[in-house]
Amino acid sequence: MSKVVSMKEAISQHVSDGAFVYLGGYICRPPSAAIHEIIRQGIKDLTVTRANAADDFDMLIGVGAVRRFIATFLSLGVYGLGRCYRRSLEKGIPHKIEVEEYTNLSLPMMLLAGAMGMPFVPTADMAGSDLLKIRSFMGENKYRQIDSPFDGRPVVLVPALTPDVGIIHVQQADEDGNAQIWGIGGDCQVGAMASKKVIVTCERVVSRETIGKDPSRTIVPAFKVAAVVEEPFGAHPGYTPGFYDVDFGIGYLYQQASNTVEGFDAFVKEWVLDLPDRNAYIQHYIQRFGYQGFKKLHAKFDYGYPVSYAY
Amino acid sequence: MSDAKDYIKPELMACCGAREIRDHDVVIVGTGFPAMAANIAKHTHAPHATMVQESGVIDARPLRPALSVGDPCLNPGAAMIGGLVDVMGMLLQAGNIQVGFLSGSQVDKFGNINTTAIGAYEAPKSRLPGSGGANPIGSLARRTLIIALHDRRRLAEKVDFITTPGYIDGPGAREKCGLPAGTGPAVIITNKAVMRFDPQTCEAYLATFHPDCTIEEIRANTPWDLKVAPGAGPTEPPTAEELRVLHEILDPHRMIRIYEQRGYV
Repeated sequence: MSKVVSMKEAISQHVSDGAFVYLGGYICRPPSAAIHEIIRQGIKDLTVTRANAADDFDMLIGVGAVRRFIATFLSLGVYGLGRCYRRSLEKGIPHKIEVEEYTNLSLPMMLLAGAMGMPFVPTADMAGSDLLKIRSFMGENKYRQIDSPFDGRPVVLVPALTPDVGIIHVQQADEDGNAQIWGIGGDCQVGAMASKKVIVTCERVVSRETIGKDPSRTIVPAFKVAAVVEEPFGAHPGYTPGFYDVDFGIGYLYQQASNTVEGFDAFVKEWVLDLPDRNAYIQHYIQRFGYQGFKKLHAKFDYGYPVSYAY
Repeated sequence: MSDAKDYIKPELMACCGAREIRDHDVVIVGTGFPAMAANIAKHTHAPHATMVQESGVIDARPLRPALSVGDPCLNPGAAMIGGLVDVMGMLLQAGNIQVGFLSGSQVDKFGNINTTAIGAYEAPKSRLPGSGGANPIGSLARRTLIIALHDRRRLAEKVDFITTPGYIDGPGAREKCGLPAGTGPAVIITNKAVMRFDPQTCEAYLATFHPDCTIEEIRANTPWDLKVAPGAGPTEPPTAEELRVLHEILDPHRMIRIYEQRGYV
């Protein structure tokens, strides 16, 4: 049964106000198009998570869609601190979000615990740091410290995360949702596996037979997936290996715009609210930067190494 | 042929970092200085060192300097690519990483690093990105190398917030809270000096000063009573071979110059 739907349908059917949402990606394959659709639909009060958040989370915070953020980090990479994140936490603009702070070890482990169906997982970091002195909306459940029943040494336990919905962008998936990636994984697989259901957005929908040619690349099986959206260029301004590069040009525009609330609002209007979907976004990109600018982002063609699973 | 004097401060700092890496070390690197330093080491005295990025990449062979730890250039040619659980949850957590490279907005005399907030946490004067991979790397890598700007704002007697533990509040503190024995900061490399940690007090002291800096100037720009190693001398400038590797192989366009704009002069 095909689960292929439009982005509009996928988001309206599976992401509701107040939902706990995992958004995959690590500069590599962020689900940018899905995030833009969440903004267009005006979805509010979200709890969001991922290790190493970037401009996409900054934008969600800037439009006021986020209530709570289970965080490790948020920056604009080479363009420095997240402007909207700072405004939210320093000045309460548009409102002060609640942040529960972890690390790029503990948070992926919490997703792993969720993926394994375990209530918690021990983690070897955070001990001795002030991260253990601050607790936000998770209160006592942010972490517990015990002496290990096995060797008596102190150990930090962190709770499982089980998001209502996980949204990942991948290179290819079949219409049923078997999703394949290559390149940097971040916490994408554990995030998807931990989520109660998964929206897969992909550069291309391929046949089940194509999936079966290289099944080791599948990171989430179809039965976990609720919707599949074919959304070429869906990770831009992030990148997708084999498809297109990081767009530092638009990263710079976002930094400059988001220096002020007015600039940020104008950026969101131009690149999100005034565009009905990703096709319109690509058209707008070509109008702004020319077809050459668009072509320049595309990955060079490379004959793939033929992986054999023969026996 | 490189002229041995033909270098800028960030290149000297990258060479200082490179010299801390031993052959066969597994090094978890960020972007900028760390990646550059690890690459210099790999092209000179540590050809068997392996670089790892927290995003999931092992032994990347990038064709240009990576601009982030998730950079597309890290993918083609790598020996293995997984994700955060593979690198942080398995390799780092299980003790397989010898060297971690960190920088900090604020670093104190015990090598504690703050990348969370300047001022009070609840009402920050400046909200910083947060831990990311810094806390686990500083907690679990055998030797942590710290890069910092040398002034009285970036260096501190005590950081506003310990995002990443150095020696916390002195000898024995890491072990007491359960961090693995034999881990901790090894060095702070600044734009003025190389500082190391006194094993008795766990406090950073001046080991070498960069060629154009004086001990007085460095002490004046350090907010704690900086001890000076007996016989502390000038930092060895980049060798001709280190510069050749930097200028001809790793960074022909000298992208490392962006660190001059960030104050590393």
